[in-house]
Amino acid sequence: MTLLDFDHPGVLLLAPVAVAPLLRSALRNSTAPSLECTPEDSLSEIVGVTLKFLGVAALLACLMGAAGPFFPGAEVERLSEGAQIVMLIDRSGSMNETFAGRSPSGGEESKAAAAKRILKTFVDSRLRDLVGVAAFSTSPMLVTPLSDHVDATKAAIDAIDRPGLDYTNIARGLTMALSMFRASDADHSRAILLISDGAGVIDPKIQDDLRADFRKTSVNLYWLFLRTEGSRGIYATSEGESESPQAAPERHLDLYFKSLGVPYRAFEAEGPKATEDALRQIDRLERHPIRYSERLPRRDLGGVFFSSALFAAFLLLLAKLAEVRLSPSRGAS
Amino acid sequence: MRPDLRDPRFILLALAVALLVATFGAPVVQMTRPGYDLLAIVDITGSMNVRDYVAGGKPVSRLEKVKTALRDLIVALPCPSRVALGVFTERRPFLLFEPIDACANFSPLGGAIQAIDWRMAWEGDSRISAGLFRAVDMARELKTDLLFFTDGQEAPPLPASGGSVFEGRVGETHGLIVGTGGYELSPIPKFDDRGREVGFVAIDEVPHESRFGLPPKGAEQREGFNARNAPFGATAAVGVEHLSSVKEEYLRTLSEKTGLGYFHLDDNASLLDAYRAAGTEHDRDGSLDIRPFLGGLSAACLFAAFSVGPLSDRIARRRRPTRFAWKRQ
Repeated sequence: MTLLDFDHPGVLLLAPVAVAPLLRSALRNSTAPSLECTPEDSLSEIVGVTLKFLGVAALLACLMGAAGPFFPGAEVERLSEGAQIVMLIDRSGSMNETFAGRSPSGGEESKAAAAKRILKTFVDSRLRDLVGVAAFSTSPMLVTPLSDHVDATKAAIDAIDRPGLDYTNIARGLTMALSMFRASDADHSRAILLISDGAGVIDPKIQDDLRADFRKTSVNLYWLFLRTEGSRGIYATSEGESESPQAAPERHLDLYFKSLGVPYRAFEAEGPKATEDALRQIDRLERHPIRYSERLPRRDLGGVFFSSALFAAFLLLLAKLAEVRLSPSRGAS
Repeated sequence: MRPDLRDPRFILLALAVALLVATFGAPVVQMTRPGYDLLAIVDITGSMNVRDYVAGGKPVSRLEKVKTALRDLIVALPCPSRVALGVFTERRPFLLFEPIDACANFSPLGGAIQAIDWRMAWEGDSRISAGLFRAVDMARELKTDLLFFTDGQEAPPLPASGGSVFEGRVGETHGLIVGTGGYELSPIPKFDDRGREVGFVAIDEVPHESRFGLPPKGAEQREGFNARNAPFGATAAVGVEHLSSVKEEYLRTLSEKTGLGYFHLDDNASLLDAYRAAGTEHDRDGSLDIRPFLGGLSAACLFAAFSVGPLSDRIARRRRPTRFAWKRQ
């Protein structure tokens, strides 16, 4: 339902002046010796009343036009391909190093800078998504809530190559990301895109809670693991003795994610190129029908009101031009 | 019978029609409008949980108050304004997102402000001066003004030699330090490691004096002073660091050091006015629709055409008095 709205509604307070044409005429008064002189003429009556109402209409239309009338842009629900995506971005200090594990020098790109560049192209190519951004290090931070405001999402991604914080606490980050999905639109396809360059041990005490949350929210989980050169990968099995989550957190986090019972894929990227490939795959996977609302631009109605005012005023002017003196005065005209 | 072209009513009607015609050919006037760029950094350390503001008859925490004030400020900013948001704890500000157009993206911006929480803090320390100086650097780099919301409570307390030194140029970055909190000392809520509130910070749970660096002057008078083994005295200092109020005096010295303004957040003064006075206005291109003015003028002419009638009639009558005036309806 679109209702008429005004830019300057205060102007409408002047509307009572539109009664002026009912009280006074823009036409000249004529003198006649007696009212008896005028014959009964219904046509004249009609013309007289019409002119009055034309005056009212002209004034009202003028004032409404001056108030800046418009139909506000309606939100139309459309169907497209996309998803609700929460980007959960690791902001620990090591993200500011290169894939080779050094501080970036010369033309080198840090992992955060590469992620920033690639994520921005990802967002640009999927304008229909609802994207939210969360960051985590020791504690989780909600950066921008789920929204279709691409500018806000990109501004949030822009900030990820600033100096990072302390540690990687994945469990709290995931809890935050899960809480960002609204329960109301459960029929949407949802995904968490976890971007990190390390893994942490998830406290066994909260593993089950987290698993329950994942099942309840029914999200797809993508883990984009930016692997530093020479570090342990997701799939590296350690030989023999030290097979504990503390010794191989990446592998155990992967195993835990697999045990969640939600669609899950891990991508191990050892450079910007591999990261791009991984995101391209995610882009292909996350194409589900999604309802999104498109905001139609508002419709300006100034022209409509001004043209009707012009029409009425023009008729009044014609009437004014057509007036004659009943009793031609001697000398004055 | 020629129409009387000198009749003021005719002239006014013709003018009204001309003005209405002009609305269709009116160009969009290009003009500049003031806009603001600002970086808002919100202190999320423990003392910001102190509930010493009142909203709707209920006590609210400083953080909640800041969030409401910041939201209201952004709503009231003139439209081409950009806002970046960050949080502060430990000794540095953390930028959540770079400046975004506050009008077009108000809903995510409002959501982000609403989501600011003390639980985002990655460390418990609150080294205000260090955080402020880095925030000034960040604002300079982003080319924005700075709004730094804090209560000014350094935790742990600064050493006797003072805090860190401001290395930037005084007054290069404009903006405000917004002091939050009441002037009375209030207890600081305490939370357990699962985030539940468990009473208030007790007197023996916080350091009341920094023992880094050289001891303060007069330490020799303290009980148990020993220049080598106990330069700060033998007993632990006891102060009021477990309670919190806005440290206005300290924040004013910081505002002098950095060249930022100081504003105390309460219900009596307008943050917007203070920020407008302290901030930098940027001229942004905008367009002005002049049709409402033309339409308004036209309405005025029409109204005049209908209401000057008796006046001009009277003038006409005076010129040519007649005995029987009959107003034609």
